[in-house]
Order: sequence, then structure tokens, then C-alpha cells
Amino acid sequence: MLDPTVLIFLTSGLFLGWSLGANDAANVFGTAVGSRMVRFTTAALICGVFVVLGAFVSGTGAAQTLGKLGSVNALGGSFMAALAAGLTVYWMTKLGLPVSTSHAIIGSIIGWNLFSDSYTDITSLLKILSTWIICPLLSAVIAALLFTLAKIFVRKIGVGLIRMDGYTRLALILAGAFGAYSLGANNIANVMGVFVPVAPFHDLQFGQDFSVSSAQQLFLVGGLAIAVGVFTYSKRVMMTVGSELMTLTPLAAWVAVMSHSIVLFLFASERLEQLLANMSLPTIPLVPVSSSQAVVGAVIGIGMLQGGREIQWPRIYGIVRGWVITPVSSCLLCFVGLYFLQNVFQQEVQRESNYLLSTRVLEKFQKEGIETTGLNQLSDSTFSSSAELVRAVSSIVPLSSQQGLKVVEFSLQKSLLITQEKIASMDKKGLSLIQLDALNQLQGQTFNFPWQLGDSLAEISSEWEVRGGGLKNKLYDRKIKQKLAHLYRNF
Amino acid sequence: MNPLSLFFKKQYAVEEKIQRLLRYLEDMGQLYRGAYEAYLDGSYDDFAQRNEDLNKIEKEMDDLGLQIQMTLMRESLMPDSRDDLLWFLTKLDKVPSSFKHSLGAIAIEKPEIPQDFQDPLKKILAHTHDAVKALAHATDSLFTDLRAVRQHVEEVGRQESEVDKVEYKLLRTVFENEKFELARQYQLKGILKQLGAVTNLAEDVADAVLILATKHSA
Repeated sequence: MLDPTVLIFLTSGLFLGWSLGANDAANVFGTAVGSRMVRFTTAALICGVFVVLGAFVSGTGAAQTLGKLGSVNALGGSFMAALAAGLTVYWMTKLGLPVSTSHAIIGSIIGWNLFSDSYTDITSLLKILSTWIICPLLSAVIAALLFTLAKIFVRKIGVGLIRMDGYTRLALILAGAFGAYSLGANNIANVMGVFVPVAPFHDLQFGQDFSVSSAQQLFLVGGLAIAVGVFTYSKRVMMTVGSELMTLTPLAAWVAVMSHSIVLFLFASERLEQLLANMSLPTIPLVPVSSSQAVVGAVIGIGMLQGGREIQWPRIYGIVRGWVITPVSSCLLCFVGLYFLQNVFQQEVQRESNYLLSTRVLEKFQKEGIETTGLNQLSDSTFSSSAELVRAVSSIVPLSSQQGLKVVEFSLQKSLLITQEKIASMDKKGLSLIQLDALNQLQGQTFNFPWQLGDSLAEISSEWEVRGGGLKNKLYDRKIKQKLAHLYRNF
Repeated sequence: MNPLSLFFKKQYAVEEKIQRLLRYLEDMGQLYRGAYEAYLDGSYDDFAQRNEDLNKIEKEMDDLGLQIQMTLMRESLMPDSRDDLLWFLTKLDKVPSSFKHSLGAIAIEKPEIPQDFQDPLKKILAHTHDAVKALAHATDSLFTDLRAVRQHVEEVGRQESEVDKVEYKLLRTVFENEKFELARQYQLKGILKQLGAVTNLAEDVADAVLILATKHSA
């Protein structure tokens, strides 16, 4: 039976999901509904169904990248991060200012990192920040290309006004469905990503072949919250967004929605990443990106193709200002909120973690290519926060951002006891028979550091080995790390 | 049955109404020519019958035009171009009215048409009929295939130019003929002007079709 307090903590995520649905549905169906090409009830129904599907089926990818930026490890912390983001989104919407939910949650996570003195991976942060530029640019380019192709196509097929109307409506509905799916897939990480490390649900098994992980259950709940936001509040936003930036013809509106959907899909699809990796092409990072940015980029792309005269540039500047204010506001709000939650309401907002630089850990550093000369002076030192640990180590040896992450990972003390009972009760989905057999061979053993379990498993079976190097191995390695993380949580 | 008609029922229904409207327009063009020629040939009963038929069709066309406008507004079809379409339909409605007025003037004034005017007038009527047919095709293309609009609009223009040429020649003949009294000259001028006004109006409407087609081409 689920603890009721857990449900209370989840409400902030639901609130954030509701805000996302209320705001971002307009990016998908705003022009279609605002221009009365599609009825609101039709739009809301399609949006609701497909956003839940997208969140449930494809939400995992982008959530992982968010987890790298900051792994909020207590439910109270997740609650406040989501609440701060939700309140920021809500207030800015009320003030009529444009807002990005992605920016808000990232600001909140940084706020939690600062409060808990947790190490912030600069590489992940820069990766996310770079998408704030890449996303609208990519959307603009795709929109310009798509608009040109669409115009050529329409001229070639030669339809009349009435059929054009019918086809455009159908196209807007299909694009909206795709857009809603992409929104769910990409942005569910914003809504529920902070709760994944502390997911209160158990994995569910339905028969032999179908199971639903705790993360997927979270995403389903978050997706439903988004759908409720769409139904209850998005109509007002939809009716105004249609011509905010530029007057769009139905064809241009379709192009804007398609471009937005393609960009969000590109930044969320693990399958696409796999395909590109298999072809030895550079992969697109799986990151939650701003739906609003994607739409604005698309509209600018279409507008520039037509000379740029019709674009409401003052409105664009206002939107960009909002994108900067949002993460800063949510970061501050989260920081202050965590202080109150911890000190006034006596709630746990961060779980105590110990980081130990034992001899074994230093040997591991060496094996992983981290310079250890001079680190002996820190041997057997303990640290209560990851940021403190990294500061101490980097004051002696230079550390890249990735190495900083590894230092944190290998130093984290967490006792793991492998028992038959725990093996029997855990979800074994995704583990091959050979992998399971290797795990069984470790029954009765205790590990002080999680990575030791991974190394022991790799010694027994190559199916637990992390291959390293290359794009193709990146995806394989990620799967191995996901399985190991699953084991660390269960033991 | 076209499977697409299941998805686009409303659009197909409006298309069908517009097709009917254009058939009425073509029928009116034919009746107009037939009635006028009957008058020129002295078949006054035939003229009266065709005039009456034309008035009946004109009423049907009015009702159908109103139905189309109501459907466009009620079903929120083509919200992007609805105002343009309503404006265009109002303009198109003037063409049947011009037939009515032209034949109405003949029916009331019962002018005596000189014998040597018969053939040129029948030529004008033929060009007018062709202009109206081309206008109907241009309008049809607006709702079925935008690429074909221009060629039909150009055809309307060609027919209108031919009417202008014959009309001009006849006007000169009217005012150069000293046997015609001034009153008769002005009566004949009025008849010629009304005849010419039909194709002038057809050309105006065709230009409106072209503007719409250009505006709503991607």
C-alpha cells in the first residue's frame, strides 16, 4: 500500500505536469484551434491521448540526461524542485509572460544541487544549455525546408480551396498527434524526472512478457496530469497563441507544428539514437528541450523565408527574456523552498551520503584513467557531499567534468548485500539468463561500494562488461549501466 | 465511393453545392443567349418563355448561394479564406442579375433592332455565352484545381475583348447613321451597353477568381 505522504510529495510533480499541459498544448494545437480549423474538444482529446502515450512509451531517454545534471535523492527534495518549477511556470503564465517548463525544472535542479552541495556535471549542464540555442535554430531550419517543400508539393498536386481546407485540417490533426506524442516523450522528464531516483512505485509484471517499471508508472501518472492540464486550462492559451508572433496560413501553421514535433522527437528518441550509432553517425543528445522554443524557432524560420517583415520582433525579444528569467527564478525559489522545507517543516530534502577515498577507490581511479598522484594525502578521508569531494580532489589533481562524475560515482559508499530473497523479489526484466546466473554466483557477498558489484559481475561474465569507446558501444554501455543502477537500488 | 469522402463530408457537400451553382450559371448563360436570339428572330413567345425560365433559375441560384454562405459560416469551413469567399460569392451573384436586367430592358422597351445589326449582335451573344462558360470553368477550378484558374480567366478576357470590338463598331454605326433619330440612337446605345456590361462584369468576377487563386496558392 502506497504511503499517503508519498502521494502528497508527488502532487508538486502533478502540478508541474498540469502547468505543462496548460501551456504547451498550445504549441501543438494553438494555431489550429485559434484559427478554428480544429475544434478545441477534438484537439484536447487527441493531445491528451498522445501525450500520455509518448510519456509512457518513450519518456525514458530524456529523463536520464536530466538525472545526470542532478540526482535529487530524497522525495522532499524532488517535491520542492517540482514545486518551484511549477510555481515559476504558473506565475509567469498568469503574468502573461512566455515560459519554458524545461528551463524551469533545470533551474530547480541546479537550486537543489546548490542547496545540497551536490556536484553539478558541467558537461551535462552545457549539453542542456547548448540545446537552448540548437533547438530553436534546428526548428527554424527544418521549418524553412519543410515550408518550401510543402509549397512545391501543394502547387504540384493542384487542389482547390475546399479540398485544401479538408486536407489541411487532417494534416493539422495528424501533426498535432505527433506533436503531442513528442511533447510527452520529451517533456515528461521535466515533470517526473526528479522523482525517478526516488520512485515510490514497484515494478509491475503482467504475465511473462509485459512489465511496467516504476519509472514508467511515474511517467504515466505525469502524462495523465499533463492531459488534465490540456483539458482544463489550455483553451485560453490556445486561442491567443495562434497569431502572437506572426499571422500564419493553415499550411504555415502545419509546418510550424511539424517542425516543433520533429525537433522534440529528435531529442527524445532512443531508437533514432540507436540507428545513428549503428551507422556510426553522431548522435543527438537525449535532452528535454523547450516546446515553446521549438515553436518560436519554427515560426521565425517560416517568417525569414518570407522576408522577416511579418515577424513581431518585440514579442520575440520578450520571449527570449522570459527564457532567461525562468531558470533563475525557479533556482532561487527552489533554494529558498528547500531551506524552509528542511528547517521549518523538518522534512528530508536530501539523503545523507558518504564519500570515502579508500585505497581501493584510489586504485579504481587509476584504473579508470584518473590521475592519483598526490591523492594519498586524502586517503581514507570521508566527505558528506559530492561537491566537497570533487573540490578536495580537484585541488590536488586536474579533473575534467566526466572525471568529476566518476570520482563521485566510485567514492559513494553504499553497502550492498546480495541475498537470495532480494534476487527472487526484484524485477529481472532485461536481465539475460547469463547475467542472472552471474548475479546468483555472488549470493551472500557484501560490497561497500556499488561499483564493486559491477566489477565482480564483469569478472564472472562478459555480459556485464562495459565496453567503452565508440558510439555503438555508448548505447550498449548505457543499457549495462541502467541494469547496474537497477541492481544498486534493489540491494 | 471515394473513401476520402468519409473524412471530408462537409467539404464534399459544399463542393457539390458550388458545382450546382455553376451549372445554373451556365444554364442562365445559354437561356440568355437563346432568349435574345429569339427576340432578334421575332419569336416573341419563345423570348418570353426563356426570359421566364431565366428568372426562375436566377431565384434558385440566389437560394443556393445563400445556402453555401450559411454552410461556410455554420461549419467553420475555410476560416482562413471565408471572408474572401463570401465577398466573391456576392460578386458572382451580380452576373445572373445582369442577364435579368438586360433581358428586362428588351422586354419593356421592345426596341426595333435594324436588320444589319442581327449578325453582329448574335456574335456578341456568342462571345458573351463563351465568356460566361469560361467564368464558370474558372470558378470551378478555384474549388478543384487552382493551377487551371489562369487559363480560364484569360479566356474570359479574350471573349470580353471580342465583345468590345463588335460593340464599338456597332456604336459607331449607330451614331454615323443619319437615318436614326437621336432617341433611337440612344436607345440602341443603351441596349449595346447593357449587352457589353454582361461580359465586363464577367471579366471583373474572373479577375476576382484570379486574385483569390493567387492569394491562396501556397
